[in-house]
Amino acid sequence: MSKELDVRGEICPYPMMRTVQALKKLAKTENQLVVITDHAPALDTIPTQAIRLGFDVKIEEVKSSEWQVILTRK
Amino acid sequence: MQAQSGITESPSKRFWELIATNIGDPNIYKGAFAVMVAVAVYIFANTNEIRMGTYWLIGLSAGFIIQRSRLCFASGFRDIFLLGHGRNLKGILVGLMIAAVGFSFLMARQVPNTALGTYPQMAHIMPLGWHTLFGATIFGFGMVLAGGCVTGSIYRMGEGYIGSWVSFGGILLGLFTASFTWNWWYEFTIRDSPRVWLPHTFGHGGALFITLAALILLYFAVIWWETRRGGVAPAHAAQLLPDTTFYNKVQNIFRQVFVHGWSVLLGGAMLGVVNILSFVSTRPLGVTGEMSRWSLSLGNAMGLTPGELLGTRSMAGCVLDTGDGTFLTFLLFLVVGIFYGSFIGALFAGEFKIRIPKQKSRLVQAGIGGILMGYGAGTAVGCTIGAFFSGIPSLSVTAWVWAVFALIGAWVGTQVIQRLP
Repeated sequence: MSKELDVRGEICPYPMMRTVQALKKLAKTENQLVVITDHAPALDTIPTQAIRLGFDVKIEEVKSSEWQVILTRK
Repeated sequence: MQAQSGITESPSKRFWELIATNIGDPNIYKGAFAVMVAVAVYIFANTNEIRMGTYWLIGLSAGFIIQRSRLCFASGFRDIFLLGHGRNLKGILVGLMIAAVGFSFLMARQVPNTALGTYPQMAHIMPLGWHTLFGATIFGFGMVLAGGCVTGSIYRMGEGYIGSWVSFGGILLGLFTASFTWNWWYEFTIRDSPRVWLPHTFGHGGALFITLAALILLYFAVIWWETRRGGVAPAHAAQLLPDTTFYNKVQNIFRQVFVHGWSVLLGGAMLGVVNILSFVSTRPLGVTGEMSRWSLSLGNAMGLTPGELLGTRSMAGCVLDTGDGTFLTFLLFLVVGIFYGSFIGALFAGEFKIRIPKQKSRLVQAGIGGILMGYGAGTAVGCTIGAFFSGIPSLSVTAWVWAVFALIGAWVGTQVIQRLP
C-alpha cells in the first residue's frame, strides 16, 4: 500500500515536518509514502529524517524542479 | 555500424548533435537571455561608476552561488535544533574560515600597529550592547518564522517564491520602524557600547588563530551533534547520463554546474571568497543598510521621516541610512545583483516558478517574520550577512555575541513554528 503527500508550494522546514507527521501516521498496512515537492532543499532534509525513522529513500525527478521522494519502510 | 564507417564518430558530427539536442532545451535560452541582460546592466553600471559595475558582479556571483548551493543561513541556525542537521551551518563555517584569513590580511595592512587602538575603517566591528542582544534575538526568531533570512528571502525571490516577496516587504517595514526607535536605543546603550576587536588584545596573528580555532572546533561539534541525532542522509546524487560518449560527458558537466545543486561546502567557501573580494573593493558584504536606505527614502517621499539618526554617520557596516536623494549607489547594485544572480541560476536549472503557498497563513507568517527581522537588523546593526558573515571575519567579538543570541531566537522560533498550523 502506498500513500501520497503533496507538499508543493511549501518551503523549509514544512516539507520535512509534514513528511515526518505523515510517516508517523502511516498505518501498519501501508509501507510506502510518496512525497511530491518542488523545494530543492527538502531533498536534503526529508531523507535525513526518513532514514532515522526507518525508511529507505529514493528520489526521482518528475520534471524540472519537481521531485518524488519515495520512502519505503525497511 | 559505427565500427565500419567511423564517420559517425567524427568530432564535428558529435558537436552538431550536441547543439541540436540543446536547442530543444528552453532553459538554456532563458538563462542565456538573462545573462545578456546582466551584461548590459554591467556596462551601464560600469559607465556610471566602476565600483557600481564591480558590485553588480559581486552581487550576481553571491546570488548565483547561494542559489546553486542552496546555502541558507536560516536553516543553518534552525536545523541544528529542529533536525539535528548541520548541512548549511557547515557551509557557513567553511565560508567564515576562508573570509577570516582574507579579512585578516586586509585589516593588518590597514592597521599595522594594533597598539594604537584604531579600527580598520570598513570592517564590520559594531558596538556591543543591549541592542545587540535584543536585535539578534528577534532577528533569529523572525528568520525562522519567515523561513529565510534577509539574503535567503532575496535569493528565493529570484526563484519565484511569493512568500519571500512578502518577507522582503516586511523587512523594509521593520527597518523603517527601527529608524524611529534608533535614537532611543542610541541614548540607552549604543553610544556607550564598546567596539570589541580581537586584534587589539591578541594582535593580528593571535586574533586570527583564535577565530579559526573556534570555527574548526564548532565544525567538529556540528558533526558530533549530527551523529548523536542519528546521522545525516548522503547528498542526493545528480541524475546523469551514462559517462560513455563525449556528448554525454558535456551534458553531465552542464547538469552538475547548472541543474544539480552544488555541495554546500563549495558554496560556503565561494561565498567567503566573494566576501573577501567585496572587502578588497570597498567594504565587506552587507544588505540591510542599503535596504534601510530604500525604505527610509520611500518614507521620506511620503512625509514620514525619523529625523536625524544619532551617530550613524560615523558607523560602518549595515547601519541605518537615511540616504541623500541619490538613486543609484554601488550597494543598490549589490542587493539587486544578489536577486538577479539567483534568478539566473534558477532559470538555467529550470527552478524558476511562481510559487504561492496553499496555506495562506504562511504569507502572514512570512510578513511578520520579515518585520521582526527588519527591526532586529536595524537595531543590532546588520543581518546574517552584515553582522555575522562579515562580522566574524572582521575579528569582532560583537559578531559572536550576535550569533549566540540569534541562535537563541532561532530556538524559540523552532518551538513556535512546530505549534503553528
